[in-house]
Amino acid sequence: MAEERRGSWFGFGFCGFGQAPGSGRGRQVLSPEPLQTPGSGADVRRVSASWSYTALVTRGGQVRLSGAARGAAGGCRDAWASEAQLVVLRAGPGRGAGPELQAWAPASAMRGEPLWARALGPEAEAEGAARGEPPAGALSLLPLLPGARAYVSPRPPFCRALAPELRARRLELGAEHALLLDEAGQVFSWGQGRHGQLGHGSLEAEPEPRLLEALQGLPVAEVAAGGWHSVCVSETGDIYIWGWNESGQLALPSRSLAEDTKTIPREASGLNEDGFEVRRTAKGEDGAPAPFIAIQPFPALLDLPLGADVVKASCGSRHTAVVTGTGELYTWGWGKYGQLGHKDTTSLDRPCRVEYFVDKQLQVRAVSCGPWNTYVYAVEKEGS
Amino acid sequence: MAEDTQEPLAGAGALREALRALLPPTKEELALELGENVERSVVQLLQEAAELFCGGRRSECLQASEAILDYSWERLNTGPWRDVHKDWRRVYAFGCLLKAVCLCEEPGDTTAVAAALKVCDMGLLMGAAILGDILIKVAAILQAHLRSGKRPGPGPAQEPPSMKKARYDPVSVPDMTSERTVPRLHCPSLEHFRKYFLVPGRPVILEGVADQWPCMKRWSLEYIQEIAGCRTVPVEVGSRYTDEEWSQTLMTVNEFISRHIRSEPKDVGYLAQHQLFDQIPELRQDISIPDYCCLGDGAEEEITINAWFGPQGTVSPLHQDPQQNFLVQVMGRKYIRLYSPQESEALYPHETHLLHNTSQVDVENPDLDKFPRFAEAPSLSCILSPGEILFIPLQYWHYVRALDLSFSVSFWWS
Repeated sequence: MAEERRGSWFGFGFCGFGQAPGSGRGRQVLSPEPLQTPGSGADVRRVSASWSYTALVTRGGQVRLSGAARGAAGGCRDAWASEAQLVVLRAGPGRGAGPELQAWAPASAMRGEPLWARALGPEAEAEGAARGEPPAGALSLLPLLPGARAYVSPRPPFCRALAPELRARRLELGAEHALLLDEAGQVFSWGQGRHGQLGHGSLEAEPEPRLLEALQGLPVAEVAAGGWHSVCVSETGDIYIWGWNESGQLALPSRSLAEDTKTIPREASGLNEDGFEVRRTAKGEDGAPAPFIAIQPFPALLDLPLGADVVKASCGSRHTAVVTGTGELYTWGWGKYGQLGHKDTTSLDRPCRVEYFVDKQLQVRAVSCGPWNTYVYAVEKEGS
Repeated sequence: MAEDTQEPLAGAGALREALRALLPPTKEELALELGENVERSVVQLLQEAAELFCGGRRSECLQASEAILDYSWERLNTGPWRDVHKDWRRVYAFGCLLKAVCLCEEPGDTTAVAAALKVCDMGLLMGAAILGDILIKVAAILQAHLRSGKRPGPGPAQEPPSMKKARYDPVSVPDMTSERTVPRLHCPSLEHFRKYFLVPGRPVILEGVADQWPCMKRWSLEYIQEIAGCRTVPVEVGSRYTDEEWSQTLMTVNEFISRHIRSEPKDVGYLAQHQLFDQIPELRQDISIPDYCCLGDGAEEEITINAWFGPQGTVSPLHQDPQQNFLVQVMGRKYIRLYSPQESEALYPHETHLLHNTSQVDVENPDLDKFPRFAEAPSLSCILSPGEILFIPLQYWHYVRALDLSFSVSFWWS
């Protein structure tokens, strides 16, 4: 039986407020760095990052903040960070009492009074258990609340109900849309659609959760929402992606990347003999220039190099990160703050492997993106 | 060699002085009053950036400004534009201000100044007024600096002769013999216009009202390039905004003219529906607000003035606007077809929310199998020439095609 080795967390990207992984050394980190955490970094089981601060949740139930928000507090099963509020799920006040949801002003360091609090009641747990949810503390669900009848939003109303027939397993929020994965592996989306992020083939908004018909019949294992784009991973390891491609976050040819001669990819077209930069144009399969895609309004299948299969996905504001079955990390999209981890600030419109983990013989197991940064959990390879 | 190095230094020094004089000297004054929509973390970053600027730490200030710009840009793109809180646009403008001035701090070449001007323009296009409209003033200084550095005017020797004129293809001037034309009036009184056209909502062409405006004699491609050439403007690319291939992009006026007007363009480009006169006050001097606007309810400041500048052949599909419109023709001619709002059903508006004010019908090439009622809908049409004003009543459907290189100015009022 394979032993689950304790791994550790790494971070890269924007840290302009001093949040992990930076520590005042500069505004961005361009290559993965181990997170400095007091005690063992392996203790951290979840990372939730907002723009100006990051919340780490340890196995022992501590939430540790770094960046514009600082401090730590115990008794927390889960945390969800946004600029407006830090939402934590805490064990209830007494035995038998259900968990309590608390929202804190990030600057408060969780001292004093929360902005608001809501007891979730023991029935939330029981209901969750009946549906096969792991017991308290094992899996993070926020912004989906235990019991999946409601979710937290960074804008009022802060607690929003979900129709019970939705049977939500996972919920992800973008800047102006929401994605929901249900027990049957179906995906729903709602909110603004002007950037194609809902995936229904139009740019219209949807006020209520609407089933993604394009994915019907495909059992989906995971969903992830970026600022204006959406990703889902099927149980067979395929990625589907849709929404805004303005920085190449869909891994489709992006006009702004081709025309901006400052952002030349590493394996660049470079200079021709006359010393002029060669404009990089997207090429179709037959060598003819492929059209640029600004918006992809319905899911597109994305192939990773070498046909790798994907097990995990996470999105930042304008970038995408996925973990493969063989423990590799691929990133693409907006790279200006080093959030792609390729040692530079280039934006990319195709998936590129983060070589750091390969070089260090680390197997990536999980990824969690903040808006402009990326956090990765990796273990040492066997026999290394 | 000595002369070459003297000039840029002196020029750059004068530029720095002029910019410094514009900006508040202390970090307390280099600040914005912001409401609760802007999070504490952003306010903190703004203060930090101001402090770095006042402390002369240019490259760190630039970094902070970039983060301010990138974050506020994301907020500007969240939700419908009309719901974006003005404070976010002010934050964006602030980021542009600091970045633009920092870019000019070094004794730089014209590239740095042009880049700074572009940043100012982004702040003007997407931001909101801050610190007494400071971006307009900064842009004016940068523009003056760029123009003084240039050799006077693009002389004929510099441009290949074929590029000099805008292209002109013999265009399909519509056969209007079977069409009812828009009535014309010469300088009607306010009362006459109000009673017979404004109140009943009837289109009319006003002659003799705008024909003496300075723009009529002054505006040419050369003049526009001189006044606004290095300014960044939004351009619509694609035959019409209902097409799938249609997009909006940003470029300088010079780039627009060279790419979409002078040369053989790959696609149609249209500098359309842009408040150019807010961005470049110097051009605002060449136009006036038609007196008839005083018949409306709104204040003069609420009147939206848009520029419409493009090559022969630009098309605005049949659509309606929620305000009264005076369309003033300055350069070139436009063919315009008008339908009353009462005919809306026969015009088959799109059903989507996004395009519900736009007809599905291609006016000059209608698909009458798909849109049978269109053929019978009564209409008015005209060719609008320089010096003339077309009154398009509120919600009146209009279709516009440029017959020549064209510049129009529209006034939306209520």
